[in-house]
Amino acid sequence: MSDEDAGGVAQAQVPADPDRYMVVADNVHKSYGRSQVLRGIDLAVAPGEVTCVLGPSGGGKSTFLRCINHLEKIDAGRIWVGGELVGYRQVGDRLHEMREKEVAAQRSRIGMVFQRFNLFPHLTAEQNLIEAPCRVRRIRRADARTRAGELLTRVGLGDRGGAYPAELSGGQQQRVAIARALAMDPELMLFDEPTSALDPELVGEVLQVMRDLAASGMTMVVVTHEIGFAREVADTVVFLDGGVVVESGPPSQVLENPQQERTKLFLSKVL
Amino acid sequence: MSSDVTGSGRGRPEPIRAVPVRHPGRWVAVVVLAVLAAMFVHMVVTNKAFQWPMLFDNILSVPVVRGAVTSIELTILAMIIGIALGVVLAVMRLSPNPILAAAAWMYIWFFRGVPRLVLCVLFGNLGILYSRLEFGLPFDHQLGALFGIDLNARLFGVNAVTLLSGFTAGLLALAMSEGAYMAEVVRGGIQSVDPGQAEAAQALGMRRPLLLRRIVLPQALRVIVPPTGNETIAMLKDTSLVAYVPVTNELFFQLQHIGARTYAIFPMLVAACIWYLAMTSVLMIGQHFLEKRFSRGHGPRAIRLRGARSAGAGGAVGTEVDT
Repeated sequence: MSDEDAGGVAQAQVPADPDRYMVVADNVHKSYGRSQVLRGIDLAVAPGEVTCVLGPSGGGKSTFLRCINHLEKIDAGRIWVGGELVGYRQVGDRLHEMREKEVAAQRSRIGMVFQRFNLFPHLTAEQNLIEAPCRVRRIRRADARTRAGELLTRVGLGDRGGAYPAELSGGQQQRVAIARALAMDPELMLFDEPTSALDPELVGEVLQVMRDLAASGMTMVVVTHEIGFAREVADTVVFLDGGVVVESGPPSQVLENPQQERTKLFLSKVL
Repeated sequence: MSSDVTGSGRGRPEPIRAVPVRHPGRWVAVVVLAVLAAMFVHMVVTNKAFQWPMLFDNILSVPVVRGAVTSIELTILAMIIGIALGVVLAVMRLSPNPILAAAAWMYIWFFRGVPRLVLCVLFGNLGILYSRLEFGLPFDHQLGALFGIDLNARLFGVNAVTLLSGFTAGLLALAMSEGAYMAEVVRGGIQSVDPGQAEAAQALGMRRPLLLRRIVLPQALRVIVPPTGNETIAMLKDTSLVAYVPVTNELFFQLQHIGARTYAIFPMLVAACIWYLAMTSVLMIGQHFLEKRFSRGHGPRAIRLRGARSAGAGGAVGTEVDT
């Protein structure tokens, strides 16, 4: 799975070929008012690869992740997912903003898991899973329910389909949220600090589901503070601080033998 | 925890039988209120101006009951139109389209700013402004004159006096005013829903109309329903305002009319109080059960289960802050 040149490309200044990679970010900039959150992010994620994004709070990790499915608009640079420019269409040498319909179609191919789960509280676990497939993908209800049952079983909650989110523990809710994202058959999964809102004893069950997902060959970008998970599962670790990629490469390199002072300092605090 | 014979093995001590705190103030208040109540009853019974027989003769007479039915019809219709209008206006106001948002703001500004009584009289007199209401291209005659032709681009028209006869005018005044208030109620409800809900729906590829209808509005209902009950009760009382449109078959108009005709003005006003109190009481009971139903399954369960903190209770907390 691990792609030797992926880490190299992410570090290099030459933009990667968008068609060969699942995600390519090229010199991405984003600011809120006068504060610059992203100041030139380059990143390439090969299909089937797991990329963990580490770094201190406020470093722009979550913002960058949200740019990948256009929940945030970027100010400069380019992002491609599956070889397709995100949020814009290139016509000649000009960019045209996409219509809501086109953005929605792009997003439906990218699964996202949130720090605070964001399950729909008025729907049961099963209804959470079939809502988007039925109404966005127009899949038949019976088929969607069969699929939802399979996915809930896969995350270890095959018997809780009828439960409302409020009746589930945090770890169970996050597993349902992962299953909900998978129900759209995404080609890419984004995780925004998926275990940060969980009680410590519930973190393991969610990480196990993510480990299984990675083993099944899903392309994943994971913003996390779980260094152990990154060391074990990631093909590439990206250390983000101050809106730039400070260092990136395989975990053995970035986590065990960091070259940059900022990476060393961060790791010495969290390990 | 320590009530039974356990742990220390010393047995359960005798229950506490303390002398309760005395409340002499309460007794004074009871005496004062009892005297005042007796005075009131004495006045009601002995003052001949109440003309109780007159009241009992008329309070259930056919025109009065018909008037009450008209008031109820007005309440139901005005609320249905008002709620529909309110949802549309609220969605417009929160729309990313600045023109729609501004139009909704203007509407709400006007209809919340003008008193309902004034609106009722105004709508009742729109016939002065237009003899006919017509739909077509604006300025057609003027434009036609400019080019020297007799242009008439009216698509269809109705006689304004027919359309704006009492009931319709009163209904429109109440419904359009209600639309402005309901818009604010619905907006509050929509804004009380955790923004993460809309984000999650967007991330799944849902577009705005779908995510509003399936995700946000159902969750907003919990916040929208209780104030809508209040609005309905207020609307029932405000139907009395259409007496000034005038709507002649409405409850308050009928009672006043009987009062003026028989010189029993005060008994008929008392009858009006009794009618409105009876009807609003029924609505208040209904609202009580409605609120109970809509608060069910959210508060207690979310608090009991710690995992629910973000998804369920997060919204509930925001709710309380927003309302």
